[in-house]
Amino acid sequence: MFSLKLGLKNLTRQKRRNVITILVIAFAFFGYLFMDSVMGGMEEMSFSNIKNYDTGNIQVVHPEYWEDREKLPLENLIDLNQDTVDSIKKMDGVLGVSPELRFQANLNNGIDEVAVLGLGISPEQYNEVFNTKNYIVEGAMFAPGESKAVIGVKLAELMDLKMNDYITLLIRTKEDTFNTIDVEIAGLLNSPNPMINNGIVFVPLDIAQQALNIGNRVSLLALKTVSGDEDKITKALTDSFKDKGLDLKAYSWKESAASVIALSTAKKGGAGTILSVVLLIGMIGIINNVILSALERTAEIGMMKALGMREWEIVFVFMVEATGIGILGGLVGCLIGFAGVSFMAKYGYDLSYIGGDMSEFGIPILDKIYGTWNYPAFSFLFVLSVVVALLSSIAPAYWAAHKDPVKAIYHR
Amino acid sequence: MSLLELKGVKKIYQQGKIKVPALRGVDLTVEQGEFSTIFGPSGSGKTTLLNMIGCLDTPTEGEIRLNGSKVSDLSRKALAMTRRHNIGFVFQSYNLIPVLTAYENVEFAIRLIDHTSDLKIKERVMQILEEVGLKGLENRRPNELSGGEKQRVAIARALVKEPKLVLADEPTANLDSENATGVVKIMVKMNKELGTTFIFSTHDPMVMEYAHRYINLKDGMISADERRG
Repeated sequence: MFSLKLGLKNLTRQKRRNVITILVIAFAFFGYLFMDSVMGGMEEMSFSNIKNYDTGNIQVVHPEYWEDREKLPLENLIDLNQDTVDSIKKMDGVLGVSPELRFQANLNNGIDEVAVLGLGISPEQYNEVFNTKNYIVEGAMFAPGESKAVIGVKLAELMDLKMNDYITLLIRTKEDTFNTIDVEIAGLLNSPNPMINNGIVFVPLDIAQQALNIGNRVSLLALKTVSGDEDKITKALTDSFKDKGLDLKAYSWKESAASVIALSTAKKGGAGTILSVVLLIGMIGIINNVILSALERTAEIGMMKALGMREWEIVFVFMVEATGIGILGGLVGCLIGFAGVSFMAKYGYDLSYIGGDMSEFGIPILDKIYGTWNYPAFSFLFVLSVVVALLSSIAPAYWAAHKDPVKAIYHR
Repeated sequence: MSLLELKGVKKIYQQGKIKVPALRGVDLTVEQGEFSTIFGPSGSGKTTLLNMIGCLDTPTEGEIRLNGSKVSDLSRKALAMTRRHNIGFVFQSYNLIPVLTAYENVEFAIRLIDHTSDLKIKERVMQILEEVGLKGLENRRPNELSGGEKQRVAIARALVKEPKLVLADEPTANLDSENATGVVKIMVKMNKELGTTFIFSTHDPMVMEYAHRYINLKDGMISADERRG
């Protein structure tokens, strides 16, 4: 088809302008792909850090405790019954169960005091569910019954604490009386989840239960499950508790991380805005290109009409040219996007340039953000570049093709 | 039946609130195979008349028949199809497409009407390029050709589809006398060999010498219409 050939050959005219339009589209696409990768990485790392270091895949709690969980109440706790734990462990897809006692405390180093989250854990079971032990950078995890604690390096730095220092946790018992837990720092951890490093003091579960005077009860059971099966297992667990007449309910990590998910959803909305801007840039570039080409080729359009070309045939020539620019812009954008995403996926971005800790923004990520690959975004953006180029060229191309042939030939 | 008949053709342009008459009632008949020139001072209506004849514009009043068919009140689409199949144009400023070679510029015109094999199209294009003296230059782009060569490409482009009528608006105005003579001789040759009807406007007396018929336009009306030979 000769019109196709002509449209493609026209791509070699006004090289500088075409190259600029292609680069504008390409860099807009690169920006989107890069942002998409970083946001995807941020989301993936946030979710991973929540699951692996904070909530586990599923939490089993008393439904009323769940409602008040932010207040860390000592009401509506779970009686730690080995049969219940064993029955949960036997369920398909459950890999580990860790009882946790969460309580409010003030950490006192003898000089200063800071509010922290006290976390009573049973180390062996805790290690079945969480990766935290791999991030103990100094010392070791305590054993049950030891008056020892593990804290994050950030908290230690804040309170000027080091290994083997003694700390006091000021707590309120269930009866609302004050008590203390005096423990020696047995280990310092530097978890990828900054929220763990900044404000949690790990103590043995039995020590915490004794100090809080709550007997053998815990706030929740954190479960490690086969990843991706959380919803199915959550439902099975809740049904099983109902059948057994237990006043317990299972909640997927997604419900615990609702605020991070909301942030992620908001980011996706932001990505939509960025995408709209990217498309607008592409559209303006293409429309500008077609209009300028039409103005420069007025006499040529007149000649085409004199030869008997119909308007849609002239429109087609311009559309081929515009689509060619869209294809090249999309290709170059995808190529430099590929390079940018490769870099982010391999080397990441060092957060130390912006303080190193994203937890201040509600994002549980520390030190580095890595990009993720979102292959559909590449193909989606490429197809979109072609479609947008094609569609945005129609109106200006029709405007060009609709010119009066006499006025076009004689530039009137 | 005459190839072209114009009866009482008037064209009035509206410039703001002012009506400017370009043609004031032209009656003209052109037979197949004629080689005619339209001449006259600037603003006499030569280009307007050629545009009417070439179906690029429609008259305000009057009737134009091409090959017996009334074309003066056709739609834009129908006018385009009439131009595509029946009329070739040669412009003063060549209007070649700069990204296409001489061959492709000519091929462009025939591709619009001929959907036969590539081989036949190639034979036809090469033949017409040879006839206008451009053999060996077919792969050159317009910026690699002289003014005379460019106009020959434009003539080949007009003739390749074997139209009944070729209209040339001051085809030699941008050429030196040697090239101008060369271009007109080619048009004469094509007129003789193919029997194509040529109507061209010009100011150049040397070019006019080759014409068989002289149509003098003055103030939008034919003031003289003479034949020679």
